[in-house]
Amino acid sequence: MYQSSTLLRMLKWLAVIAAMCFALFPIFWMVSTSFKPIQEWSTYPPVWIPRQPTLENYLALLNPAALAGSHSIDYKVAETAWRPLLNSLIISTSATFFSVCFGTLAAYGVSRYKSGGESYPMFVLTVRMFPPIAVAVPMLVMYSFLHLTGTYVGLVLAYTAFTLPLSIWMIRSFIDEIPREIEEAAVVYGLSSIRAFWRVTFPLIRGALVATALFIYILNWSEFLFALSLTNGALTTVTVQVSNYFSASSGQLYGPQAALGTLSTIPVIFFGYLIQRHLVRGLTFGAIKR
Amino acid sequence: MKATVAANSTRNVEAQAEGIRPTLVQHIPFAVWLIVPAEIVLLSVVVFPTLMSLWLSLTSWTPTSGVNWWQAEFQWLANYVQLLFGDERFRAALLRTLLIVVVGVAAEISIGLSLALLFFDDFPWKKIAISAIILPMMIVPVDAANAFFMLFRDVGPVNQLVRILVGHPVRFAWLSDSNLAIVPILLVEIWQWTPLMFLMLLTGLMALPQNQLRAAVALGASRWQLFRRIILPLIAPVVVLSLVIRSVEIFKIFDPVYILTRGGPGTSTETLSMWMYDNGFVYFRIAYVAAAGFLVLLVVLAYVLLILRPLSRRTAAER
Repeated sequence: MYQSSTLLRMLKWLAVIAAMCFALFPIFWMVSTSFKPIQEWSTYPPVWIPRQPTLENYLALLNPAALAGSHSIDYKVAETAWRPLLNSLIISTSATFFSVCFGTLAAYGVSRYKSGGESYPMFVLTVRMFPPIAVAVPMLVMYSFLHLTGTYVGLVLAYTAFTLPLSIWMIRSFIDEIPREIEEAAVVYGLSSIRAFWRVTFPLIRGALVATALFIYILNWSEFLFALSLTNGALTTVTVQVSNYFSASSGQLYGPQAALGTLSTIPVIFFGYLIQRHLVRGLTFGAIKR
Repeated sequence: MKATVAANSTRNVEAQAEGIRPTLVQHIPFAVWLIVPAEIVLLSVVVFPTLMSLWLSLTSWTPTSGVNWWQAEFQWLANYVQLLFGDERFRAALLRTLLIVVVGVAAEISIGLSLALLFFDDFPWKKIAISAIILPMMIVPVDAANAFFMLFRDVGPVNQLVRILVGHPVRFAWLSDSNLAIVPILLVEIWQWTPLMFLMLLTGLMALPQNQLRAAVALGASRWQLFRRIILPLIAPVVVLSLVIRSVEIFKIFDPVYILTRGGPGTSTETLSMWMYDNGFVYFRIAYVAAAGFLVLLVVLAYVLLILRPLSRRTAAER
């Protein structure tokens, strides 16, 4: 619209590049640290690019036996990271599945039949305002009563419950975009309303449902507070496990922490870029659509 | 044969056509059935503990008091009074959290808006730049906090860069100085979520009516006038929405605080969530934390209404 002077354009590019560097630097640092051997963790001036890059940290996480007898300082990681990774996978997948299934049903109800009343959406939003930690405390009391602490069921239940409002909200905004007339036309052709939804609307929102599912998956995978509060030592997820890398002799084990961080973030980055277009809609509860 | 099929299907169709626009009396059951599974989960896991919380907040129960929670001694509003007037630490945590919310949101929106304006026009590798800038949003928050822990250590690159910029060896003890410890926490929050503001505002900017903008430029508006008089009012709703959504989320901030400082040297970075964690899971003052939870809900509601009221009045007046 405006013809920029070259100076202005240069400045603009500089600003963009600066923003990119700022955004990428911490991630770069985490990935770089994950390849550093122990002697490069705490030097001053700090090492930016490891001079002796190594896979030790990853091996410590995934295959400690391969480290036995290696030349570097002997740090034993308490347990391998396979269990937490598997736990995170199971819990996130189940919670996402239930959240999206129940959420779709409820969203259909709220969208087409105003189930739950006119103020249901407002109620849902208010639920987000309540600090989760305050709910976690009585939940722990309830869970210990029901022997659900540190179980898969307990965490899946908690995650499903806390992503349901978001799920309902998002899916409802997608269903709202499909005009009712299509379903009514299907009904005129002899389908029941449920089948009309299933055969007509559902295929139209399938892509959106996938995006919602991935979004909720990302939220579940990154969840920390409930994983911390509602589990004991037996069941850990990836997010909690990162804090466990602490040894009496070497202090915090930055290398394995960075390695686990890198590993656990890869799926999130991957899914995040897949649903890039829908991220804004998801994180603003469907209020802003592209 | 055909006649009966036709007659039946007409009856079916009539009965089922009503299913799309139900009268409340006829179809309450169906509508209710749809949300039953979701409601069961929500009721048991969210609503019940919240009600339990409400009950507990009016008592003085702790797990060590020897009775079951439903037999706890009733105390009316003693907890709330204590929190508001008697508990220094809670008030400090509340104010500190408010500070983080205000500073965080202000920074996120201003940086996000500036970036969005930069991306208004097209330029080569725009897509790549956007992908790079939104990467922070897709890092697991705990890992982002850990990365910032490594950055802000005494021997970390931030101190190194400060030394290069300032000249002589100045080392800030970012995470162990009670005055500075809040900076890394704020920075994690800003670093991770400014890209969201950026995306939201960019979406808002892209949706602006191009004709108005072109007309203004044709009529001789300068860049600044264009921004202040036309763009800003038009994206005000998006800004307000971003403000509200992000504020509500920052109020609950927990992951960075736990990972970076665990509440700070002493209690200097104790936010509301951290305070509740310590009181609930370390000191087991469960009834107290329950009361605090509801107080925080009220505070957040008040905050949101405070923001929305004058802003919606202004947009109504403009109309």
